[in-house]
Amino acid sequence: MSALDNPQAEVPFEQILKSVRPRLKAMFVQYRIPPQDTEDILQQALLALLYQRQGIRDPEAWLLGTLKNKCRLYWRDQRRKLYETVDAAVLDYMAEPLAPAQEGTDIMHDLASALERLPERCRSLLWMRYRHGYEPPEVAAHLGYSPASISKITTRCLAALTRQLMVGGLSSKKTVQ
Amino acid sequence: MMEPLSQHPSRDFLDQFARGQLSGAAQKRVLRHLFEGCEECRSRLAGKWETRPEAVGEAAESDGYDEVFDRVVESVVAQEPSIAEERAAGHQLFDELMRHPTAHQLLLVHNSPRFRNRFLCERLLEASHEAGFREPDRAIELAGIAVEVSGALAVDACGTADLLRGLRARAWAQYGNALRISSDHAGADRAFHEAERILKSGWTPPLDRARILDLQASLRRDQRRFAEAAHALDRVIAVYQELGQWNMLGRALKQKSMICGEAGDTESEIALLRRALDLLDPQEEPRTFLAARHNLILALNDTGRSREAFVLLFHTRPLYLKLGDRMNLLRLRWVEGSVALGLGRTEQAATAFKEVRDAFIELGVDYDAALVSLDLAAAYILQGRTAEVRDLAAEMMAVFQARNINREALAALLFFRRTAEVEQAGLDVVRRVSEFLKKVRNDPALQFEVPS
Repeated sequence: MSALDNPQAEVPFEQILKSVRPRLKAMFVQYRIPPQDTEDILQQALLALLYQRQGIRDPEAWLLGTLKNKCRLYWRDQRRKLYETVDAAVLDYMAEPLAPAQEGTDIMHDLASALERLPERCRSLLWMRYRHGYEPPEVAAHLGYSPASISKITTRCLAALTRQLMVGGLSSKKTVQ
Repeated sequence: MMEPLSQHPSRDFLDQFARGQLSGAAQKRVLRHLFEGCEECRSRLAGKWETRPEAVGEAAESDGYDEVFDRVVESVVAQEPSIAEERAAGHQLFDELMRHPTAHQLLLVHNSPRFRNRFLCERLLEASHEAGFREPDRAIELAGIAVEVSGALAVDACGTADLLRGLRARAWAQYGNALRISSDHAGADRAFHEAERILKSGWTPPLDRARILDLQASLRRDQRRFAEAAHALDRVIAVYQELGQWNMLGRALKQKSMICGEAGDTESEIALLRRALDLLDPQEEPRTFLAARHNLILALNDTGRSREAFVLLFHTRPLYLKLGDRMNLLRLRWVEGSVALGLGRTEQAATAFKEVRDAFIELGVDYDAALVSLDLAAAYILQGRTAEVRDLAAEMMAVFQARNINREALAALLFFRRTAEVEQAGLDVVRRVSEFLKKVRNDPALQFEVPS
């Protein structure tokens, strides 16, 4: 970019923040980011604006767009944590050698019915993971996936299982009173 | 052994489960509870799942944000003066660095912690970008120094890890871009691979990602991997749209139009250029605006809309003159010749092409000199001046043989001379050789195939 292509008409930083604040707040509300989690998101976005200010034509639009991106990523991270939690809990179950017979059978039955509702490739992948204790590279070798893509595929399958668990419902449906 | 929950876990407990903050045993209890099919708890967690704003079921509360805003704004505003000082220091360091001999510059930033400044790196990236237009070798050196500086920076010097990551990735991307300009596509690929590796290691500000993709699209275009280039630019366009950076969106659309043009899709090229021109501000970005107008005039002329091209050229002429540098004036004269040729004013066209050809030869701008010579040949062919075509072809060979021009480009010019010698050089031959020269300029490995 040449000097001719680099116009600068700087509005004071505080003034930008004052003007954009109601919309930033509305975005956090809209995306339901808990207030205690907004601190890092906001701090990072504002610092990025301060450091990169000279290359940004419309700071308010930039800030809103960047924050929207961060809000989406926030939920992506939250979902990922949820998959990891579900995965870790299922693996823990499977690793327990002394589970009472009834409990173990119930869990296996519930897991099997959850897996039944997933697409075929996720069924095979997760079954190998939970039932046979295969690590992702071994799963990749058995199912013919490239080692580079197995992590993404595993995450997608965990997402499907978690969604099944949270949204789709399982075989037995009862409400704890 | 673990007991299933006899009642619903509390909201906090479910929150902690969703965040992976519970102990292993507690996690399993919640999971068991969910496996049992508790609708109420599942729907609570499902609410966390559906994160699209329009999918929000329960009313979101707005309490608690103001306090966070006050605290963060106060903290960030307090850092503004020190960042401004750092910026000024970075610019001074750049000036100081540039006073040293080129050979010492890299050594200096490597050895002296004083040069670990984010804004110095930004300035080096700008300078490398600018040098790319005039001194490709210098562009590589400057980008190499920027890579060195960014690699030595700590998070503290950049505000956040995200910003540091973005800067490092941009430095590698600029290095790749500088190598691309020098036709080192393999080196450029390696540099972009490194930039991608850095990007994948965590979140990077979207603007940084877009800039990197923008540069990568240029490499893919030069490699004639048009689909990948267009895909990268689509992502760039989406980012600029989301960030409301309309001027950058205008530039990205112009970039994409070039890909369409090179891929032979002139109608899309024209449509994209029109959209780009709606977004670019001629007052603030006169060079980019002019380049887009220039390309639109040529595309219109190439598709037989020379009348429209002529009108647009009439309205654009003041901008060429205002910018006034020699290259822009020569481009103006060249496009005047092209439009005149499109309108059938062959004498006027030939005069313009001759002027431009002589200037390019004098300046050593070989490819453009060859291309405008072929345009001149086309004008002569339309006038039936076959002897002049033959003389021109011989003259072109003599000039370009003396230069270090690509072998395959010479082969194409030789083919043109041979056909001209036997008075067989028609417009199809001129077009074929001209197209080849445009391609081989970006892809030196390309081979010219003599038609049977």
